[in-house]
Amino acid sequence: MTERIDGLRLHELLRGGYARLHANAQTVDRLNVFPVPDGDTGTNMSLTLRGAVTVETQSAACELLRAASRGALLSARGNSGVILSQFLRGLSEGVQEKKTLSTADFALALQSATDCAYRAVIHPTEGTMLTVMRETSEALCTAPTDFEGFFALLLAQMRASLARTPELLPVLKEAGVIDSGGAGLVYIFEGMDAALRGEAADLAEALPDAPAPAAASGEEEFGYCTEFILQLSLRENFTLSTLIEHLETLGNSIVAVQDGELVKVHVHTFKPEDALAYAHRFGEFVNIKIENMSVQHNEILQRTRKKYALVAVASGSGMHACFREMGVDAIVEGGQTQNPSAQDFLRAFASLNAEHIVVLPNNSNILLTARQAAQMYQGAQMHVIPTRTPAEGYSALTMMEPGSETIDAFIQSLTQCLSGVTTGYVTTATRDCVLGGVQARRGQYIALAAEQMLAASDDRLSAAMALFAQLPNMPDNQVLTVFFGEGVPQEEAEALQDALSRRWPLLEIGLVDGTQPVYDYIFCIE
Amino acid sequence: MNRIAVLTDSTSDLPKALRERYEIDYVPMNYVIDEREYPASLDWQSHSPKEFYDLMRSGVRVRTTQVPRGVFEEKFAEYLSQGTDVVYIACSSALSGSVNLARVIASELEARYPDARVYCVDTLISSLGQGELALRAAKLRTAGKSAREIAAQIEAERLTVNQYGTVASLDYLRRAGRVKASSAFFGNLFGVKPIILSDRIGQNFAFKKVKGALAARREIARLVTQEVIEPGTQTLYISHADNLAAAEQLRDDILAGVQFADVCISDIAPIVGASVGPGTVIAFFAGKEVTIEGAE
Repeated sequence: MTERIDGLRLHELLRGGYARLHANAQTVDRLNVFPVPDGDTGTNMSLTLRGAVTVETQSAACELLRAASRGALLSARGNSGVILSQFLRGLSEGVQEKKTLSTADFALALQSATDCAYRAVIHPTEGTMLTVMRETSEALCTAPTDFEGFFALLLAQMRASLARTPELLPVLKEAGVIDSGGAGLVYIFEGMDAALRGEAADLAEALPDAPAPAAASGEEEFGYCTEFILQLSLRENFTLSTLIEHLETLGNSIVAVQDGELVKVHVHTFKPEDALAYAHRFGEFVNIKIENMSVQHNEILQRTRKKYALVAVASGSGMHACFREMGVDAIVEGGQTQNPSAQDFLRAFASLNAEHIVVLPNNSNILLTARQAAQMYQGAQMHVIPTRTPAEGYSALTMMEPGSETIDAFIQSLTQCLSGVTTGYVTTATRDCVLGGVQARRGQYIALAAEQMLAASDDRLSAAMALFAQLPNMPDNQVLTVFFGEGVPQEEAEALQDALSRRWPLLEIGLVDGTQPVYDYIFCIE
Repeated sequence: MNRIAVLTDSTSDLPKALRERYEIDYVPMNYVIDEREYPASLDWQSHSPKEFYDLMRSGVRVRTTQVPRGVFEEKFAEYLSQGTDVVYIACSSALSGSVNLARVIASELEARYPDARVYCVDTLISSLGQGELALRAAKLRTAGKSAREIAAQIEAERLTVNQYGTVASLDYLRRAGRVKASSAFFGNLFGVKPIILSDRIGQNFAFKKVKGALAARREIARLVTQEVIEPGTQTLYISHADNLAAAEQLRDDILAGVQFADVCISDIAPIVGASVGPGTVIAFFAGKEVTIEGAE
């Protein structure tokens, strides 16, 4: 019978919770509505909690929770991770200055934790981990005075609440899953319960396995950032893919776009002269820009304070290059499968010297992390633009007015067209499923847009074409930017461009080699 | 009072019917394709609009020259020797050196022909904006004004001619060095349409951008509604570079919000065309005085 727990004991419990969550992270990851490798709720919650338990232990419960909460806030990643970190923060606030806790103290702290978690989300959705937190904490108003009995009741409530989530959230029901964040929460409390009953957590296995935080981006850059626009004089002798192949032998971060007789090229290379000499065979340069990136880097360290700086999340070397070319100052590596932590954002913020930092999270599951990091950062006035996809981030950048006099005008320039952006994806189904009447088998190409699965096909191009055929209001769209992912040949993207041009002759279509993982195609439809 | 000749040049984009009806003469500039020089006829004597813009689309570089000295000398001498005053309604000095050259030649010739004068008006605009000012000059002549009065009035009114246009690509303007644009335009412009006005010192200024051709037309229509004065008594001029469909759509979009007395749609002739590129559409109308000045 345990009637009071102190900081040391609470630390053991949290470590037990972490070990159990870590061991089941993949199970939680698989609880996805869409059959795509996204969100990775289990991994995100596990990495977040890891930050909470790998702190110096404290004998006072309040001190331990303060440290754990701080650790979780920094390591928070993914919406579920942010909610979990806010839950721990609320738990910490709820115990106030208590050095040991009774079950009544803990129940009260759970209420505070739930409130704090709800506040983290602008539009809380029921049928998620928030509901599981709330229903559980409400049911513990009159609880046993021993922690063993308390946890038994807590877990019973929590599991029942989790089982009800599909009733509250139709998308879960249709996909035949329970809420993943709620499931993660249950694993945490199961692990805490096991630790309470003396089952030692096997952290030796849990801790080394967790991936190290992503390195700050940009360190690998080298040589000369070389950009030019080429006016083709021998268009018939020119193919973009041959140019790209040649550039790949000279450097990296290659972006090459052809628009009629104009070819725009970006490459990082130690031999800009070779890149230019090769390109010169095909035409004349409209303009050329070459910058020594190590000089650039030194200047960054010493430069004066900028008025506006931009931080964007991106995944894939082509996406990085594209965003940088469009004026992004720091890139946070991450995306669909690898959500960055608040700490990753803080590192990017700290690399900048600006009056205002504007953040483009470019993923709905990274939005809360970006907001959390922005709240924690003191070095600049922070603004998070809630771009939900890389396509939205890209669209925002195309409309940017860097010379804006006020931050409001600057943000207005970035957001002015966002409501008109539709994002489409082609990727591979990770499991068999039926969604919105569309049936997909594992391994098939599926087309997603506007939060719906629109088509499935064994052929990638067919899936892509079907996406556009299914999109409502397609004739109203004017501009389409196609980001083709790693493993998609340029020729295939060009074939898609041709087919789309024939079907929608007025649509302006541009190709970007995004080399992004997971998504064979990302479409920015405007 | 002397007889008066209203003279303009190749950037006025005035079609033959209007030039004949209002008795407006013009001096041609030249355009150069593959080192061959062609006079920039407003009547498309060397290439048809489609031929010309298809050449540009295929990547052929078109260069342009200002009105040659000899052309000015001959034309001015022709009128001055008959005792006819000339009002030259010239292309914006920010876009062509023609008006400055004309002033030099005019002063040389006036010494030789003391009975008549040449008045050079820098319109600070081009295409049908300049053309519209030439038409105004001709109407003032009909109303009995002297050459001096006409020149003074056109100079006083020139900044009330508004221009809002959009180009398919800024590359042509940029290459020709004939646009002021913020650095925002020098990045990736794919799908992004600049809205270009003629600023108060006669430069083309890409002062804002929108996404897509449809949005560009709507934005131009909005700007026309906002800036126009007394549309019911004037003609809306729309010039286009081999893009009649877009010109007609722009007309419809504008007329949905503002009723003009008349609409005139015409081709952008080779000189302006060479610097704005195929696909361009531009609306011109009389409105509030232009006060904006573009900067890099």
